[in-house]
Amino acid sequence: MKNIIEVKNLTKKYKNLKAIDDLSFEVREGEILGLLGPNGSGKSTTINCILSLLNYSGGEIKIFGKKMNVDSYDIKRDIGVVFQDVAVFEELTVYDNIEYFCGLYIKEKDVRKKYIEEAIELVGLKDFIKFYPKQLSGGLLRRLNIACGIAHKPKIIFLDEPTVAVDPQSRNNILDGIKVLRENGATIVYTTHYMEEVEILCDRVIILDKGKIIASGTTDELKKLANIEEKVSVEVMDLDPKYIKEIENRKHVEEVVYQSPVLMITYRKGKNNLVELMEYLKEQKINYSRIFSERPTLNDVFLELTGKELRD
Amino acid sequence: MIVFKTFLKVLNKNKFIVILYSAILIFFGAFNMQTSDSSQSFVSSKPDVLIVNQDEDKGITHNLIQYMEKHSKKIKVEKEEEAINDALFYRDINYVIYIPKNYREDFLSGKNPQMNIKSTGDYQASLAEMLLERYLNVASTYQKVISEEEKLIEKMNETLSKKVDIEVTSKLDMNNLQRASYYYSFANYSILAGCVYIICLVLASFLEENVKKRTVISSMKEKEFNRKLLLSNGLFAFVLWLLYAVVSFFLVGDIMFTAHGICYLINSFLFCFCALTLAFLIGNLIHNKNAINGIVNVVALGSSFLCGAFVPAEFLPDFVLKIAHLLPSYYYINSNELIQKIEVISLDTMQPVILNMIILLLFSILFSILANFFSNRKRKVG
Amino acid sequence: MFTHNFKYTLKILFKNKMLIFWTFAFPIILGTFFQMAFSDIEKNEKLDIIDIAIVNNQEFKDNTIYRESFKALSDKESENRLFSIQYVTEEKAQNLLSDDKIIGYFLLKDDNPKVVVGTSDINQTILKFVVEEISSKLEIMRNVANLKIEEEKKNMPLGDMGNYNSLYASVYGQVMEMSKENNTNIKNISSNHLSYTMIEFYTLIAMACLYSGILSMFAMNQSLANMTTTGKRMAVSPTSKGKIILSSVLASYLTSLIGIFLLFLYTIFVLHVDYGNQILYIILLAFAGSLAGLSLGVVTSCCFKVSDNTKTGIIISITMLGCFLSGMMGITMKYIVDKNIPIVNKLNPANMITDGFYSLYYYDTLDRFFFNFFSLLVFATILIVISIFYLRRQKYDSI
Repeated sequence: MKNIIEVKNLTKKYKNLKAIDDLSFEVREGEILGLLGPNGSGKSTTINCILSLLNYSGGEIKIFGKKMNVDSYDIKRDIGVVFQDVAVFEELTVYDNIEYFCGLYIKEKDVRKKYIEEAIELVGLKDFIKFYPKQLSGGLLRRLNIACGIAHKPKIIFLDEPTVAVDPQSRNNILDGIKVLRENGATIVYTTHYMEEVEILCDRVIILDKGKIIASGTTDELKKLANIEEKVSVEVMDLDPKYIKEIENRKHVEEVVYQSPVLMITYRKGKNNLVELMEYLKEQKINYSRIFSERPTLNDVFLELTGKELRD
Repeated sequence: MIVFKTFLKVLNKNKFIVILYSAILIFFGAFNMQTSDSSQSFVSSKPDVLIVNQDEDKGITHNLIQYMEKHSKKIKVEKEEEAINDALFYRDINYVIYIPKNYREDFLSGKNPQMNIKSTGDYQASLAEMLLERYLNVASTYQKVISEEEKLIEKMNETLSKKVDIEVTSKLDMNNLQRASYYYSFANYSILAGCVYIICLVLASFLEENVKKRTVISSMKEKEFNRKLLLSNGLFAFVLWLLYAVVSFFLVGDIMFTAHGICYLINSFLFCFCALTLAFLIGNLIHNKNAINGIVNVVALGSSFLCGAFVPAEFLPDFVLKIAHLLPSYYYINSNELIQKIEVISLDTMQPVILNMIILLLFSILFSILANFFSNRKRKVG
Repeated sequence: MFTHNFKYTLKILFKNKMLIFWTFAFPIILGTFFQMAFSDIEKNEKLDIIDIAIVNNQEFKDNTIYRESFKALSDKESENRLFSIQYVTEEKAQNLLSDDKIIGYFLLKDDNPKVVVGTSDINQTILKFVVEEISSKLEIMRNVANLKIEEEKKNMPLGDMGNYNSLYASVYGQVMEMSKENNTNIKNISSNHLSYTMIEFYTLIAMACLYSGILSMFAMNQSLANMTTTGKRMAVSPTSKGKIILSSVLASYLTSLIGIFLLFLYTIFVLHVDYGNQILYIILLAFAGSLAGLSLGVVTSCCFKVSDNTKTGIIISITMLGCFLSGMMGITMKYIVDKNIPIVNKLNPANMITDGFYSLYYYDTLDRFFFNFFSLLVFATILIVISIFYLRRQKYDSI
């Protein structure tokens, strides 16, 4: 696979603060790349630098193998951006907003018209084309924001936290839309601090903290970094402390925490941990009501690498 | 207490506008009061006249200039034609007299030389023209019988200096009363703009849909909340009035300590109250802060122009005054003008003023009822 | 792309109610107020008929000169009518005066004319003046008659006293005739265009022109990445920044010209404002004035990194200060500034516009108009050059 975007040694300083610190990565054709990190980790700044909106202190950015500049209009032609803040005109209707921004890219009127209709179809705003932004709910507004950014069928799409403060229905709609875009051949850079979205969506993930890459790879690769295989939680009433000791000493067990009525057991590795645990409980005649097994999340990865939670 | 505290905090955010409006009032109030000595003896009005002499300044010509200068104010304007024209347009001078070349010789030899003038055509200019015509008439009448220049001038001046007895009856300090009246009439704009704008802004914050929802579901009774809000606003209006009143003591002085002064104070207080209720009405109707700015400007400027706060009501066309009767400002400003003319303040002479005050109160009641009506209708959200 | 952005900027500007209110409706509303307030001022400045009273005692009835003169001055048919006179008793006259029904009254007692007035003001001065004039007329007649008789006497043979009476009668008749003649030869050479309230409307146009700054500021902001999010979108599109800004600003220029055109139509056809007759120059001035407003908006938009509201505040403050100095809140202000600190108004764009209209209305020559016109162009050019200097930075250090 070809590298579509190459970022080399990117550095950006605000006075003394290093917002981005020697960042290097590449985006491959056709993939969805997730930029994951807590608030203030430099995700949006990175995107703004790639787009030549911001001055940067050092490094090199290439898109389609060419250096990206303010006046690289041939490159910009194939880029679509969905900003974190809703960027639409209050004075224009849904349709006019999309038409306006699409018109900055596409000159031919009939092509434009077709593209606009497809974009509206994609984000599911067909019933709202005559509405003004003020009349839309938060989720619908976000969908409009996306439609404005992607109507011109770009080859690369940057999505900067498009699902912040969005209701579940709109979020699913948005995520489905992004998948469709990829199926249609677009390469996508997706920033978020929702790790669930990254797990569902992204082929590859870069985890950022304080302007630096702390890990990158596929979701599975990253999860291996977490040093955990499985988390099992069991609902048990009034568990005798002696059983806790016993469980701690069983095979592969990393940690046992009991906060009545939930018993949480973390396993380092192994395959049949859940089955073995259930057999053990049966032998000891311990009554339990519910039992779950969880695979480790990217939050656990982040926790392992930085010692803090991803969110807040 | 918490309502009042929040009120003050919101107010603090808008302090710039309060200061701005107060500064405007004081500036304009002071600007309107051109000081001139007041006196109980008769003072002739003197038009502003400019004389452009193209003749030699001798004999009969010299005498004409002296006569005109004695009866008019001499204005310093550059003798360039453009400066003269500008001065005339802006009424810095009312009348320009061009004394032609060889005027003296031509006049003495019995010709009637033409004199060019420029005039603004107003009162002052008419007076100046009367002065000039009188002089020329006297001069030409005597010229027919007296040929010697010196004797002619002597005779003319004897005739022209004739005076009549004049007696002034009014004992009022017109100058200061007029200034007080100007000041308080102008306050119509400041009170309306200041009071209504600030109160509407604050109300808009309190009545903003989501905030309003919170207060409606809070345990404080709706009536109690409204009463506290009204009280806070009332206190603000009172402070605003107090500020304007204190400034008037500095600007107008003594007159504020007389019965006339007290009438001005009462009148403005009532108007302030009326403005408060109007503000409450507008505040209850409109919650959009941007729109408030436009509406307040239109309301304050409109009623100030239509009711005579900027231009005295006597100069307004009749149809405008008829429209003005529908606005509270008219009664407030009318009272100010009436107070200025009353010689002795008594219940009897104050009758028309008291009637105006009652009308102001009726307006206040009307505004309050309307405000309550709309406020109740809006209590249920959605 | 150019027309696309131009078209949409127009649409956005016209759909923004607040913008349209301040730039289109507000000047028209204010103009209507001006018209209502000022339409009668100049009429009132002309001499009105003055209400006076005359004490109708026997002495007045016997004095031909006073009686006839006052009669002539209160003649309803006459163009020079000055007074409306009530002939009453002294007591009644006093009552009328205290009731403010008359401004003063005239009393002739023991050959001594007397004027009683309420206050000292212009009407009272006129009354006093008229009485003085009549009494001096009386004196002239006596003096001239005496002089003539002296002269005739010299030529008369001594002892022919029988003709003295007829001589006196003929001289008196001559003098009477003389006094009735008006011997003045005054020619008014002032311009017909003396209506100074026009200045109010000129400042109004100036205000509307400078308010177009709000439109251009708004249009600019929408296309700058460091000001608005929509600006960010435009910055990442393949349309060049120059094209976007130029087309946005031109759209705002067109919008403001439409607004000013409407204001002109309204002031000319509804308010009957007189701009003089040189239509071409009036249009030129409106274009230049609007351009000055536009440049003000552009410079505010790109040189200050503050909120939209503060920017609007800056433009409104500058405009209102400029209009104040050029006479909007009191026409005298413009004259005072022009006369005493001319440099202030030479730099004030509102005054350049106001003074431009004034010179078209009042003066026949065009020197002053062109001075103002070019001042506006220079003003606009300087501001636009400053803006371009700022805009040349295409990337930002922070957004």
